[in-house]
Parts: sequence; C-alpha cells; structure tokens
Amino acid sequence: MSSDEGSGKAVLRQSLTDERRRVAGASALAAGHQAGEALVPVLIGVVIDRAIATGAVPSLVGWLGLLAAVFVGLSFSFRFALRAAERAAERVAHELRLRLTRRVLDPQGGAEKERLPGELVNIATGDAKRVGAVAGTLPFGVAAVAALLVSGVLLLRISLPLGLLILLGVPPVLWLTHLLGKPLEQRSEGEQERAARASGVAADLIAGLRVLKGLGAERTAVDRYRGTSQESRAAAVRATRAHGWHDGAVVAVTGVFLALVALVGAYLAMRGAISIGQLVAAVGLAQFLLTPFQVLTWVNGEVAQGRASAGRIAAVLATPPAMPNGSRDLADTPRGELRLAAVTAGRVRDFDLEVPAGGLVGVAITDSGVATDLLALLARTANPDSGAVRLDGQDLSTLDITAARRAVLVADHDAHLFEETVAENVLAGGAAGHERAMAAATVDQVAQTLPDGTGTVLAERGSSLSGGQRQRVALARALAADPAVLVLHDPTTAVDPVTEARIADGIAELRAGRTTVLVTTSPALLATTDMVHLVDGGRIVAAGTHHELAAANADYRSVVLT
Amino acid sequence: MMATTEAPTRPLLPIASGKRTLATVRALLRPNRGLAVIAMITLVGATAVSLLTAPILGRIVDLVVAGETPDSLVVPVGLLAGVALVAGVGTAIGVALVGRLGENMVAALRERFVERALRLPLERVEQAGSGDLTSRVTSDVTMVTKVVRDALPHFLRSALMIVLTLGGLAILDWRFLLAALLSMPIQLHTVRWYVGRAIPLYAAHREAVGTVHHRLLDTAGGAPTVRAFHLADSHTGKIRQASETALELALRGIRLLTGFFARLNLAEYVGLTAVLATGFWLVNADAVTIGTTTAAALYFHNLFNPINTALMLVDDAQSAGASLARLVGVTDLAPEPEPGKEHVASDAAVKATALRYAFVPGHDVLRDIDLDLQPGERVALIGASGAGKTTLAKLLAGVHTPTGGSITVGGLRLDELGPAAARRAVALISQEVHVFAGPLADDLRLAKQDATDEELRGALATVGALDWACALSDGLATVVGTGGHKLTATQAQQLALARLVLADPPIAILDEATADAGSAGSRELEASADAALSGRTALVVAHRLTQAVNADRVIVLDNGRIIESGSHTQLLDAGGHYAELWRAWSAGRGG
Repeated sequence: MSSDEGSGKAVLRQSLTDERRRVAGASALAAGHQAGEALVPVLIGVVIDRAIATGAVPSLVGWLGLLAAVFVGLSFSFRFALRAAERAAERVAHELRLRLTRRVLDPQGGAEKERLPGELVNIATGDAKRVGAVAGTLPFGVAAVAALLVSGVLLLRISLPLGLLILLGVPPVLWLTHLLGKPLEQRSEGEQERAARASGVAADLIAGLRVLKGLGAERTAVDRYRGTSQESRAAAVRATRAHGWHDGAVVAVTGVFLALVALVGAYLAMRGAISIGQLVAAVGLAQFLLTPFQVLTWVNGEVAQGRASAGRIAAVLATPPAMPNGSRDLADTPRGELRLAAVTAGRVRDFDLEVPAGGLVGVAITDSGVATDLLALLARTANPDSGAVRLDGQDLSTLDITAARRAVLVADHDAHLFEETVAENVLAGGAAGHERAMAAATVDQVAQTLPDGTGTVLAERGSSLSGGQRQRVALARALAADPAVLVLHDPTTAVDPVTEARIADGIAELRAGRTTVLVTTSPALLATTDMVHLVDGGRIVAAGTHHELAAANADYRSVVLT
Repeated sequence: MMATTEAPTRPLLPIASGKRTLATVRALLRPNRGLAVIAMITLVGATAVSLLTAPILGRIVDLVVAGETPDSLVVPVGLLAGVALVAGVGTAIGVALVGRLGENMVAALRERFVERALRLPLERVEQAGSGDLTSRVTSDVTMVTKVVRDALPHFLRSALMIVLTLGGLAILDWRFLLAALLSMPIQLHTVRWYVGRAIPLYAAHREAVGTVHHRLLDTAGGAPTVRAFHLADSHTGKIRQASETALELALRGIRLLTGFFARLNLAEYVGLTAVLATGFWLVNADAVTIGTTTAAALYFHNLFNPINTALMLVDDAQSAGASLARLVGVTDLAPEPEPGKEHVASDAAVKATALRYAFVPGHDVLRDIDLDLQPGERVALIGASGAGKTTLAKLLAGVHTPTGGSITVGGLRLDELGPAAARRAVALISQEVHVFAGPLADDLRLAKQDATDEELRGALATVGALDWACALSDGLATVVGTGGHKLTATQAQQLALARLVLADPPIAILDEATADAGSAGSRELEASADAALSGRTALVVAHRLTQAVNADRVIVLDNGRIIESGSHTQLLDAGGHYAELWRAWSAGRGG
C-alpha cells in the first residue's frame, strides 16, 4: 500500500472522528427507522391474523393504534437521522475544502504544481464531497445491518427453515442480479461518456460562435454537430438498453425468489407449522430484506469512492512546499536598493544588475524564457543556483517569504484578475493610493465604458474586459500596492499606443522616488526610464539610456523598435 | 471597447409559452409515434402482469385457509414465477424503448437548438449577452437530457404502477379503491407544498454550489497573484463564506425533503389503515375473503415506493419543463434573413459612406465615417480604447447593422448581399480566440470543410504554425481545446489566422488578434498576420505602431470620428495626432 493511501486513510479517519457524534446519533436513528419499516408488514400480518380473521373490533383498534405508533417512530427517526447524517457529510466536505484552500494558498506554494486549477477545484469540491458522503452514508449502513438482524430474528422466530431460506437466499439473489447487470453496466459506462459528448460539443460551438460567424463556418459546424449528436444518441440508446436489461433482471430474479418463499411458506402453513399471518409476514419480510442488502452494496461503493477521494485530498495536503522559507524579517521601510550579483538560475546566467533605491530601470530581454526565470527570482518563487539577489544588502533567499514579497512586488503580464468589481480588484493591492493608481493606469477611462463604472463585476479571469483593459486594471492594482520595489512585466502589450504613452508617463510620475523595474521591450515605457539594460542569452550585454541604446546599439533597435 | 456601451437592461432571448413548448414536444413526438405506442404498450403490459403477484399470493393464502393439500400450490407458484419472468422481460424491453424514444427526441431538440443558435444574428446574441445562450446550451440542454434519461423511465414505471395498482384494488373490490384514495388529498397537498419550495430552494443551492466552484477556481487559477498580493486570508474567508452558504442551503433542502417524506408517511398510514379497516368490515360482512384483503393490503404497501418515486420526480419534471421552454424560445426564433437570389461581390473593395452607429439611441459611438478600402489595400486603424475601433470592425464585417449610412462590399450593399455571402467576402478575426474542442485538423476544417491534409499543412506553414503543430503528440490529429491539449495564446491566435488562410476571403478584418501574447509573442504574430493577409484587402486594428508603418494607409479614430487618414509618411509630415504619437514612441530613434 502506498503512503498516499495511508494518508488518505488518515484524512478519512480524521473526518469521521470530527463528526463522530452526528454519525453515531444518525446511525441509532436510522436503525430505528429500519426497524419501523420492518415492523410494518409484520403488523399487517398481525392485523389480518388477530383482528380481521377473528372479527374482534377492540383488537383491530388496538393493533391499528400500534401501527400508528410505529409510523410515528419510523417517520421521526428517519427525519432526524437524515438531517444529522447530511450535516455531518456537509461539514466534512466544508472543512476539507478550507484545508485544501489554505494549503494551495500557502506562501511557500507547491500545491498547484503539475495540477491545473480545474483539477484542484475538482478535488476541493467533488472529492471533498465524496469523503463527506462516507460520513453521510455510514449511518444508513449501520441501520441496514440492524434491519438485517431484526428481520432475521423475526423470520427465524416465525419458522427456522423459512427464515434460513430467506436469509441465505437474499444475498445470492442480489449477487445474481448484480452479475446479470454487470457486463451491461460496464459497457454502459463508456456509452454514457459518449452520450454526454453532445452537450459538451454544443457548448463549445456556442463558446466559439464569434469565430464561426467571423469565418461564415456555421453550416459546417451545424453539419458536424449533427454527426456528434447522432453518435451520442446511438450511444445513449445502447446505454438505456443495458439499463433496461438490468432492471428487467432485477424484476425477474426477485420475483422468482418470492415465488419460492411463497411455496415453502404456504407448505409450512398447510402443515400447521406457521399461521396465515406469519406466512403473510414472511412474504413481506422477504421483499423488505432486499432493501437493506442493496443499501449495504451502496454504502460499500460510497466508502470505496470516498477512500479514493481521501487519497487525492491527502496528496494535495502533503505536497512538499515549492520554496524553502527564510526566517529573517526586513526593516519596516526598506529603502529599495536591489542588487543581483553573479546570479545563475535556469536560463539566467551570471547576471549582475544594480538598481539604486528610488531608481526607474528598464530591462529589455530578447528571450521570454529568460524573463520568466529572472522574474521568478525577484518574486521569490525561485532561488538562485549561485550568486545572490540582495535587497538593501540582505539576501532575498534568507528572508521570510511574505516579508520579501511585501517589499518586492512582481506584477506579471498575465496577472490574474478576480471575479469581483474593478474597484475591489484594485483595492486588493492597497487602499491608500488606489485612486492615483487608477488614474496612472488609465483605469478611470476603462471604468467610463463599463456599465457600473468601477463597481462593475468582472467575469471569470476578467474575460469581460478586452486584453488591454485587463492589463490596465492589473497595473493599477500593482501600483496601488505601493511596494518598496515594483517589478512590472510587459504591463501594456495589449494597450493601444495612444493610451500606452499616457500610462508610461503615469507610471514614472507615480513611482517617482520609489524603486521600479520595467521588464519590457516597449519603447514607450523604456523611454521613461533612467537606465535600460539589454539582456541577451541570459546576461546583460549593454546598458545605457533608451536614447543612447537606440542610437548606438543595433541589437537594441531590432528588439525594441521593430 | 465593445460589450460596454450597451443598454443597461439586456433584451434576453425569448422564453416560449407553455402552448408553444407543448406544440414543440408534439412535433418532436410525431416522427416517433409508432415507437411511443409500442413502448407504452410494453410497459403497461409488464406492469399489469407484475400486479398479478398480489392476487396470486392472496389465492395461496386462501388455499391455506381452505385447508388444501400442498399439491394445490403447484399452479399458483408456477404462475408467480411465470409472472416474474414475463414482467422482467417486459420491463427490459419497455425501458429500452422508452429510452430510445427519449433519446431520439432529445437529439432532435438539441440539433435544432444548435442549428438555430448558430444562425442567429450575432447582434441579437450580443444584445442578450452571450451568457444567456451559453447557459441555455449548457444547463438547459443538460437538464432536459438528464430528466429524459434518468427520471422519465422511473417516472413512467412508477406512474403506471400506481394507476394499475389502483385499478387492481378496484377489481378486488371497489371499496378497497375508495379506502386507498383517502390518502390522495394528503399526497396532492404534499406535492404542492414540496414543489413550491423545492424549485427555488434547489435552484438557490445549485447557484451557491456554483459560487463555491467559481470562487475556488478564481482563487486556484490566480494562486500566484493571491500570494504576490498577500490575499490568502481574504480569499479563504470568501470561500468559507460561500461554502457555508451552500452548506446551509443543502441542509435546508434536506429539511424540506424530510418534511416531504414525513407527510407521505402520514398518507401511507391513513391509506393503509383505511384498507385494513375496509377489509375488516368486508370480511365480517362476508363480502370478500381474507385472501383478498391480504392482497389489497399488500397492493397498498407495495405502492409506498412508486408513490415516493413519482412524487419526488415532480420537481425534476417542472425544472425540465422550464428548461425546455427556454430552448424552444430559441428554436422558434427567426434565422437571419437571406436575400432571395445569390449575389456575388464583384471585387474586394469596401466602401462606407456617412456611417453612424449607436448602441443606445441618441448616443452615437461612431459618426460621419467615410471609408474607402481599395482591393488589396492594407489599412491600419489606430485609436485610443473606446474610440470605436472594434465597433467599426464589426460594422464592416456585417456583425452589427449601421444606425445610419451604408456599407458596400464589391459594389453591393451588405444587406443586398445577405449574411452568408457577406461572410464569404469578409472574414473577421475578433478579440475572442477560441480553440474548438477536438482534433486540430477538424478545427481547421471548420474554415474549409473539404480541405486536404496538404492544404491544412500549407495554411499552418503560411502562418508559421506548422512546426509546433507537427510537434504535437499526434500531429494534426491531436485533440486540442477544452479537455484536450491546451494551446498557448500565441498558438491559438496563429490557429485563428490559419483558419483565415483556409477560408480565403477576399477581405479580412483583424481586431486585436495579436494583443494577448506578450511582446515577444506579438512580434511573432505580426509576422503570421502579415502572411495571412497577403493578397487580401485588410483592415487591421493596430496595437503596435510597427503595424501602422507597414500598412498602406493609416486611419486614426478618435471619439467615434476619423480624424486623420493617410500613409505613415504623409501623416508624419502632416504633424497631427499620429505624428505626435510616433514621436513619443520612437523618441529614441535619434530623430
């Protein structure tokens, strides 16, 4: 058994322990409910035996009163059992969801490595729910066992041979229906997947509607969709056929079994071994017993699924952190002097860079891979293989991660906008200077075109904005954070040239006296910097003002000006 | 830019009336009439046969009471086994037939929906917000399919069981039927009580679960951003809040459900007591045997589950009905009008005269636009965000209808040409890049259905995408898009350009096709776009001034008006807006 499964067990055990009170209470109540359900056919038999066959009115009234009591009991015990079980299930899922969220967002990271966001979300929703379902179904499993015991005792008291026949007969009957249904059901799983394709493809075509319209490809798409839809239809028809045979098998096998029970029961009754009422009760119990057995099969399946899900959750929770943490803190107000000395990391080679405190420096990089690696160093999501990145003389890799990121903020060009209002997105950076930040990034202009201004709620990943609008909001957020060192990566690639020129001035003005690094090849931005470093092949090959480099360096011209 | 200046209340796509919805269901049923009849007969037969079980058991009881010998059991027990087998086979066939019927109808409905949705005028879709159409095609189609697939067979079997059992009770003695029906007022009241609460509550729960899902996705997708801005606590707090809301709604749903079952328990008790008391009375009066009373009581006891099942499904049925109305609302819409006869644009010239456009009457976002694109000419469109570039691009591509003025393509007005011919003449590559789920080759063939593999490769090579496409795990057969290999932003945009090459329209409009790829990617994409546009009349919404330098002509749009038009050098010499921009941009060029 792998260690993952082991820790999955630990997750499952922990969850059940947390909710043990509710699970235990629900189990007791559910058992009471099952006992009540089992008693109903028994009481029907008794009423026929003692009241209808004898014609005694007091007896009828008495037994119907008892039946009423049984109904009240089974109804209330079911009501509170289900409520407690469901609360346990929901609470388990909820707690796991929060534990997973905290793990994913841990400053040291690592959990989202090699896992797509959608996958993490599925683990925090689907898998958490399935672990919760174990807590929710377990009480009913306990109750099913109780029901089997109660009806077993009742049946054996009615008649030993008939009781044994039923108790020993039900499992093979269920096993047989399972066996009959299984190959069909297995086949139908694949069919169901194919059957679900039609809705997926339809949604995909609608999502690409503008592309189809732009090309005039609607007819082709409709023709193709018809093919997919018909394939799905055929698969779904095959799946329902399989289902039909399974349902039919259940009807036939349980019916034949019932005939056998009736035969033996009636034979015993004719011999005087059991009464008519006992015969009726036995037939009723034989039918009733099918349910607890089915419940046990179902609980078994849920537990198996829950165990697998707990394993996946445990794997995320146990992911090692991507970055070792440091312990040293920074001065409250870092000056913001940044020095890279002989740094080598990934595609960055032997890199020396000095950014004076309060300077505005451009870094033009020919290869986007190098830019990624350089930014990772500054964002403290990677440590150098050799050399050091120093902030005010302190080695960044020895600092507490949160402190380092508070001092040096790297705003990536594909930074994520959240599904909240424009204002909330910007305020997430910082509250103090958010209005000036919005003005500098021309978000005030963006807001004018939005239905509710800065109060407009953005769609997923900001997709309700154009690329340029998204970049401007993200830039405003970074500016609002007002860190000691701000590193901006390609903040304006999707912004039109008119606005870009305005933003370049805005950044320079707002960040005056604060250390700012612009990693970009945009001439409009680079023209505002004090100094530009040209990076080629992972190291700095030239430095100077934008004007100097543009005049003197052909490589620079080809990177920045064409 | 667009999506922004629209009216605050969106005219959503219509929802069909109950009458229209029913008529559509009948129309979908019509081609399957024979199948429907056979399916129903089979299921009714299977259910009716299975109901013989109770009277046969009653007969066995009577044999015992009469003191018969065990030999007499052979016939009734044999019958019981026979009933089980016949009912089993009948159920199997009936369920399969109902399934086929449902699937046929659902397939026809979704095909009709997709066909109509894809042919809707884009303007109409954008008015409603594309979310409206998307939610119909995802949640509503899924809802209807799910109910037809999962709920319908159960519902039919349960309903038949109920009806036929009640019939069986009547055959045993009509007074048993009356006794059983005493439970009905309670059940009817329970259903009304439940459905009225369940539909809004479950909808709220689904929405709350959707919010949890969304928040998680938002946070997990932006985890690096959350860390960079120290937002972990506030994001965890929001997820906790959403998750707690969903939890509370789930528990309210459970309370509702248990209340529902408690009421049905009451109905069960009332009916069962009535049947037993009636039996007591009838047996005393010698009207029926004890065996018949046993059968009646067992009949009624056996109704507990089918009644629960059928009543539980009522809210599913209502939700499916609502979804169906939203689907029929779209299938009933008129498609884009096509002109009576085919026109073909004579050349690749585009001419706009006194063009005007307003999303909201009285608020023109474009005015007095006069534009003349010569065949083969490449024009760059420059302007600040919100100047109306995207709107102009959409007008020229025929996506929006001008509020005033006219557009001609190859000498024909766009409305004379009709939407289909207009799209063959003018292709628009818009801001949204979408990679269609499926093999890469299928995606490309949307632009040209009968393209050979060679043509596909040629188109990819033209836009510089052949290398990476061939390097994919299965080459052009690699499944891309949702659920498949994820292409980078640059690759997706190159794919869009390759489709343009395949569609081969004489006129192409490019809007922000190079915007999202970062500066290195932008340059690569500019080269791709350059190749894809060669030989076409092209209007390019430019994001880098280098695109303007390479164009035959530059048009500067400001506040909905054309303020400058001319070649790069002409505009520089003119010393206007564009020249100023260029100076700021190329400040370092040394003059």
